[in-house]
Amino acid sequence: MDLFTNLALGFSTALTPENLMFCLIGVLIGTAIGVLPGIGPIPTVALLLPFTFGLDPSSSMIMLAGIFYGAQYGGSTTAILVNVPGETSSVVTCIDGHEMAKQGRAGPALAIAAISSFFAGSVATVVIVALSIPLSILALKFTAVEYFSLLVLGLFAAVILAHGSVAKSLAMVVLGLLIGLVGIDVNSGAARMTFGIPELSDGLDFVPVAMGLFGLGEIIANLERKQERVLIKQSIRDLMPSKADLKAAFPAMLRGTAIGSMLGVLPGGGAALPPFTSYAVEKKLAKDPSRFGKGAIEGVAGPEAANNAGAQTSFIPLLTLGIPANALMALMIGALMMQGIQPGPQVMTEQPELVWGLIASMWTGNLMLLIINLPLVGIWVSMLKIPYRLLFPAIVLFCCIGTYGISNSLFNVWVMLACAGIGYFFIKIGVEPAPLLLGLVLGPQLEENFRRAMMLSDGDATVFLTHPISAVLLGIVALMLVALMSPALFRKRREALAE
Amino acid sequence: MTGRKIDLQDALFGAFLILVSGGTLLATTKLSIGNAAEMGPGYMPRAIALILMAFGLFFTAKGLFRGGEGRGIERIHLRPLPGILLAVGVFALLAESAGLAIASLSTVVIAGFAGPEHRFFESVIFSVVLTACAVLLFVKVLNLPIPVWPW
Repeated sequence: MDLFTNLALGFSTALTPENLMFCLIGVLIGTAIGVLPGIGPIPTVALLLPFTFGLDPSSSMIMLAGIFYGAQYGGSTTAILVNVPGETSSVVTCIDGHEMAKQGRAGPALAIAAISSFFAGSVATVVIVALSIPLSILALKFTAVEYFSLLVLGLFAAVILAHGSVAKSLAMVVLGLLIGLVGIDVNSGAARMTFGIPELSDGLDFVPVAMGLFGLGEIIANLERKQERVLIKQSIRDLMPSKADLKAAFPAMLRGTAIGSMLGVLPGGGAALPPFTSYAVEKKLAKDPSRFGKGAIEGVAGPEAANNAGAQTSFIPLLTLGIPANALMALMIGALMMQGIQPGPQVMTEQPELVWGLIASMWTGNLMLLIINLPLVGIWVSMLKIPYRLLFPAIVLFCCIGTYGISNSLFNVWVMLACAGIGYFFIKIGVEPAPLLLGLVLGPQLEENFRRAMMLSDGDATVFLTHPISAVLLGIVALMLVALMSPALFRKRREALAE
Repeated sequence: MTGRKIDLQDALFGAFLILVSGGTLLATTKLSIGNAAEMGPGYMPRAIALILMAFGLFFTAKGLFRGGEGRGIERIHLRPLPGILLAVGVFALLAESAGLAIASLSTVVIAGFAGPEHRFFESVIFSVVLTACAVLLFVKVLNLPIPVWPW
């Protein structure tokens, strides 16, 4: 069985002491930043990227992935105990999770969140295994034409499914694409938009851009808001949920996992959409919907399962097609490229130990999270007591040093400074910066494939419609656009996202 | 607010896009465009800049004339923005010349001023602790090639 040899290879990679350690470091850092509101996984991964260069590619991916799903666990802890979502994905958990905590059931809420996440994570790992091989076989048939169309589809879908105004997000993708073109043109060797700055000839590094836009811009905006946190001050005994709790939570957990696994694969699905959908579904299915918002355990189990399943299955398009589903996956693509690995369908065959090791590590990582998280809850709670006035200067400093560390150049620090200002501007005018990062990372690939396709077809743009796979992909894009224009659907989407 | 509402958020976003697009078009005038089959280095930047220009005009027009919800900009506070930018700028200026220790001390203290509640002594003590951690972690453990002291 091909599948089992692959999995065996994966586990043999993931279970080496070294990789287990990196996985542990990843999930611990992830949980920590997940617990702390105000710093998310995107700047953290960006910050740690420079220090993973020296590592083996599989170790570095294992650690970075651990940060991502670890943050989902941590985010729910804050949501339950403080009623502040540590991450956007745990906004829904606040509703019933915090209510449970207020009723003195913080322990069971935390435990159910962890168990649901572990269950979902394990199932999602299997989903990844099952979907990866067929998708990558399909993808190996791709030429530049199909690849270009796929990139277009990926970008469109990511924008449409993510929250915020679609028109603004599209504009941000285009802006990102444009910034991605800065540097020496590979085909002609001409410098483009470098303004005579030698550091720009290799293009704009996405790490300082990400840290400026997501890390520092967010801090500046945070400092303007009033911070109010009410920590539940009860000792967390009785961690174990009762039999009745488990019985109520289990079906919600199953449904949440299914929803998360499906939505996570979609570009733009990532971490935000699944928990919202799951919560809405649970509320609809419940015999007594009025319990929701008053500490219903299903309202914790479902969304938590969905959010973790989604976080993991969003790796599928990345691993099989080289298409990032969200801004964080775009960073992972960047990490691969920095390791000298060109992301795309060939990664599956050329770097099997990387892909399968990463997949297997998600399971071991989830197990670690389940085991360490509940006993460590006290530590996480005490981290919450660190006041923001001490936290943010530390983040600023680490962003500076981390950015410097990418290529030991201060130029990147200046880039980050500029992006911090721009990021703040974007927040002020209500524009979501994530699509820009997608465009920035995919820009060079998009141009390369477009040029190659046009060269092969001798300048005939209809080539994208005459190749069947490409035509189907672009057809989906067109359908999405049409659907978006139709007012009825537009309202539905609005409602769904507003909930 | 007067009778006609201006949606400042949309209008500013549009203006920003037009600015970037215009800058790109200016910066790429010397690059050859080529043709669709043999694209020159200027083809894609200019094509994308033109799309961006269209977006920019759309948002500016929408913000100025259609008004929408007439969203303004929330008040900009005096300290956070300049405080954080200055902290980063000082790091960039000092890191290589004066060393990591002095640079991170200054960055943390300046960043402290950006917050709504500032306690000077706490901030200084904290910066010393943080600097020690940063030097240990980045220079000693992770071997970042950066001088620690100016000498």
